Amino acid sequence: MADESTRSPLAQRLTRPVRGPMAALYRWMDSRLGLADLINKGLYEATPRRGAWAYTLGSATLVIIALQIVTGMFLLWTYVPSVTEAWDSLNFIARHDEFAAIVRGMHLWGAYILFVVVGLHMVRTFVSGSYKRPRELNWITGVILFLLVLGLGITGAMLPWDQAAYWTTVVVTNILHYIPVIGHWAREVWRGGNQVGPVTLTRSFAIHIWLLPALLIPMIVAHLYLLRRHGEFGSWVNYDPDATEEELAERMRHAEPPYPAKPTEPAYAVPADLDEFFPSQTAKDGVVSFILVLIIFIMAIAVGSPLEAPANPAILNYVPAPEWFFLPLDQLLVQFPQSWMIPVGVFIIPGLASMILMAVPFLDRSPERRPWKRPELMVPAGFAVFFLLFETMLAVNRLFNL
Amino acid sequence: MSRRRFMVLVTNLSGAGITLLIAAPIVGSVLSPIFQRRTHPWIRLGDIADVPLAQPTAYVVHFPVTQAWKVPAVPRIVYVVKLNVSGQTQLLSFSNVCTHMECDVHWDTNLNEFLCPCHGGLYSIEGINIGGPPPKPLYRYEHRLDGTILYVRDVLTEA
Amino acid sequence: MSLLAAAGPQLSPVGISTGAATLLVGVVMLLHVQFAAFQQGGAILVPLTDFLGMVRKDERQSRFAHGLLKTMAVVFAFGTALAVFAVMVLFTGLWGHFWVKLLRVMFWPLVIEAGAFVTEVAAIYTLYALWDRLAAVRPLRIGLGIVLAIDEFVQMLMINVVASYMLTPRPAFNVPLILFNPTLVPLEIHRLVGNLAFTGALIALVAGVRFLRARTPEERSHADWMGHFGLVIAIALTALQPLIGWEYLKELQLHAYASWYDMMMGGLSVAFLFQIFLLGLIFTAGIFFMWRRVHAAGIRSPILGICALLSLAAWILAAIPYTVGFTYESAVAASANAPIWQGGTIIPFGAMIPWKITALVAMTFVSITAVTVYLKQNSLGHLRWGEARRGQAMLLVTVGVSVSLIMALMGYIRENGRGPFLITGHMLINQQQNFQAPTAPGPALNGAPPSSVGTGPGPQG
Repeated sequence: MADESTRSPLAQRLTRPVRGPMAALYRWMDSRLGLADLINKGLYEATPRRGAWAYTLGSATLVIIALQIVTGMFLLWTYVPSVTEAWDSLNFIARHDEFAAIVRGMHLWGAYILFVVVGLHMVRTFVSGSYKRPRELNWITGVILFLLVLGLGITGAMLPWDQAAYWTTVVVTNILHYIPVIGHWAREVWRGGNQVGPVTLTRSFAIHIWLLPALLIPMIVAHLYLLRRHGEFGSWVNYDPDATEEELAERMRHAEPPYPAKPTEPAYAVPADLDEFFPSQTAKDGVVSFILVLIIFIMAIAVGSPLEAPANPAILNYVPAPEWFFLPLDQLLVQFPQSWMIPVGVFIIPGLASMILMAVPFLDRSPERRPWKRPELMVPAGFAVFFLLFETMLAVNRLFNL
Repeated sequence: MSRRRFMVLVTNLSGAGITLLIAAPIVGSVLSPIFQRRTHPWIRLGDIADVPLAQPTAYVVHFPVTQAWKVPAVPRIVYVVKLNVSGQTQLLSFSNVCTHMECDVHWDTNLNEFLCPCHGGLYSIEGINIGGPPPKPLYRYEHRLDGTILYVRDVLTEA
Repeated sequence: MSLLAAAGPQLSPVGISTGAATLLVGVVMLLHVQFAAFQQGGAILVPLTDFLGMVRKDERQSRFAHGLLKTMAVVFAFGTALAVFAVMVLFTGLWGHFWVKLLRVMFWPLVIEAGAFVTEVAAIYTLYALWDRLAAVRPLRIGLGIVLAIDEFVQMLMINVVASYMLTPRPAFNVPLILFNPTLVPLEIHRLVGNLAFTGALIALVAGVRFLRARTPEERSHADWMGHFGLVIAIALTALQPLIGWEYLKELQLHAYASWYDMMMGGLSVAFLFQIFLLGLIFTAGIFFMWRRVHAAGIRSPILGICALLSLAAWILAAIPYTVGFTYESAVAASANAPIWQGGTIIPFGAMIPWKITALVAMTFVSITAVTVYLKQNSLGHLRWGEARRGQAMLLVTVGVSVSLIMALMGYIRENGRGPFLITGHMLINQQQNFQAPTAPGPALNGAPPSSVGTGPGPQG
């Protein structure tokens, strides 16, 4: 332990000892688990003070993912992953089990809100240039998490085995057969045969509740570990790129852990103004997350989770539509017609987009964080965001006017 | 080889062995659908004597699911089309599965074409892809005519 | 569709001939569109620049926001007068049958449209009158600007419901389907983006003229900055338009094939060719401006130079006509749809697929690249306002004039694309005017020419 007198007032406040009747229990646990270290690392770290409301989106994402895991766990108390019983089990929930219907509604609306919050979190991180040295891996794990969440969203949409779920399954698994050379086998592996059938559902189910979460959770741990290791960057409002060397040296001297971030430019190593993560930041995080969970709860009761007619491949008047967060990709299927262009729209464009997204920290290596000084990033990104929104609106228009 | 190098080797080899022993059956089970044998029995579609000329008629046929355990047979739609080709009646039996993303196409009486609602694919009455994203014509079922009774089986051919 | 099915009486139109009545509506509405588009784009730019001026403490942005709002307040009266004239005199007086039937289908959109004027008047004149006093409560002023922007958005959405419905009505008389008809979304986005680009181009045009006439360095400096600001908006947003326009035409191809055919192959294809020519001119002039403006700051930017040349090449490629005859339709009619070297009239390099597409994609990506590089040079602090040359001001004027022309041309194409119909497939343009019975001509009322009085039976009673 460092000498108490050399530590800043903030650091002293951050590591105050526990008092009261629980002190003995705490000491016992601490000596075995190293609780003090864990709590100091997890809660009593310094974070940037300015613009703190903008930094609540990450924790909101975490809270909603936790909500998804918990509600998903308890949906399994009723849901049966079988083509003959999946729809019936959810129909039972919808008709006879009001609380389970709320749980299911929260799982659906949680997913919807999650996509919005993840998107905003990503935009915020991008605009503030938080992905720059040394936080490149924070960004990359974040992009992987985003892709995993997309995968969870689409496999989750397959499980109710109503019409919407059935056609989502058909289209998504069918996309695989446009992979060159091994496409047909890839489709058969997911489908468990050449047609969508009983094995398809059990496989989608297994991917949704085990395979993807098993990848998701370690990624979340890595994402949080990296956040703690390098400290939160905040945004340009926390730094002063025009500061003199003396000012920067002074700031470096007063850096609280985990600052100064290394390796990075001195101007961006330590935020100008620090605050405690607990309780200052957690209070703001809490408010935002609470509001979002409240919205999810209200939507689950007010709108709920729809269940269409049972899956029926022999129907002539049903218009299959994907979940809204997949509409831009669905629109690409329309815009890239005929044999060789289909793989371009299905794999090459989304694949290139994901790769470019992942490579952002390596494409933009300048120390500059102010968005108006980075038009080489902001202008193309602006066009990309417009393109996504435009594709979504076109898809809505197309499905509405069919 | 030093003792240390040997111990490193043993560690790595046992790790690889464990992985292999666990992974081999898993990979096999995941890939098993590729190696499955399937049967394609003939199924009675129905009497097609009343199918009008140049007017695609939808029949619902229940194909048995040969994928895994026994589940109820799956209804599918077979479009039966009678065409007059240079004085002779030609009989076609289409799958109504779009060749783009496998959605159900239907005969649109306004367009006089098969329309796929998913992404707007269009097919002519002969099942030829004439608009939108589909890369191939509609698949045809293998069929057999017994008088006016049509039998089909789940073997698809390209036109 | 029973509301629309009834044809007007087989009588002669009141006042003027169908051709003249059509021309009047066309001229007045095309003029009105120019004002309305400026209002709509300006309503977005005023709060935006006001906000930027506040957070970045940029006096130039604040001054610009005020100037733009003052212009809007002045222009608003004239633009609205045109709309009122169109509704009161032209639609009611000349096209009564059409107008009454349309009002029965489009009652609520037109009511909301008219109602939005109230909010618009309130917001625009409050801002105009209280601009300096509201400086003390800047967020309130910005908020009022946002109210104005939303109001203008609603207004345009409502008129787009009407305009898109007339082009692509749905077969069934179903209210949601009539409102969200197939071309509403593409038209809405096309116009929203287009109006902003148009406003940017007009700002560039005014700045270019001001720069050319500037007498003091201060004036020249502000005009230079204003031209830069307007041009970046104009080019960045016009870069989106080929994609949006392409999707708009795809919807037309699906839902109003005859209009689409007329635009692409028939008589209107000539107008469309002129339109793609103007589009190439806008991009090329805009990117040349960026290149030369950076050059005037003493910076050699080979990327901008290459962009300018690529844009020029794309422009030339895009402007090649598909046929030396009048239209493809006429080439087919004359059995001359063979390449020109085989005795036909077709120039294969003018084909839409793949050549014009290639040119449009190139224009889009080249202008996105150019805007990015140009803004990067600006963000590095290389541009000093006032150092531009006269040539660059003329390029700004070129962009401004071309964008204004392309707006008018686009309106002409859309309104004429319906062919013989006023509402595609439901209502012909004939028989939709106001009529008079021949037995009661009342020449004194509608000013019939004296010759008809001479040859006719003469006024009775």
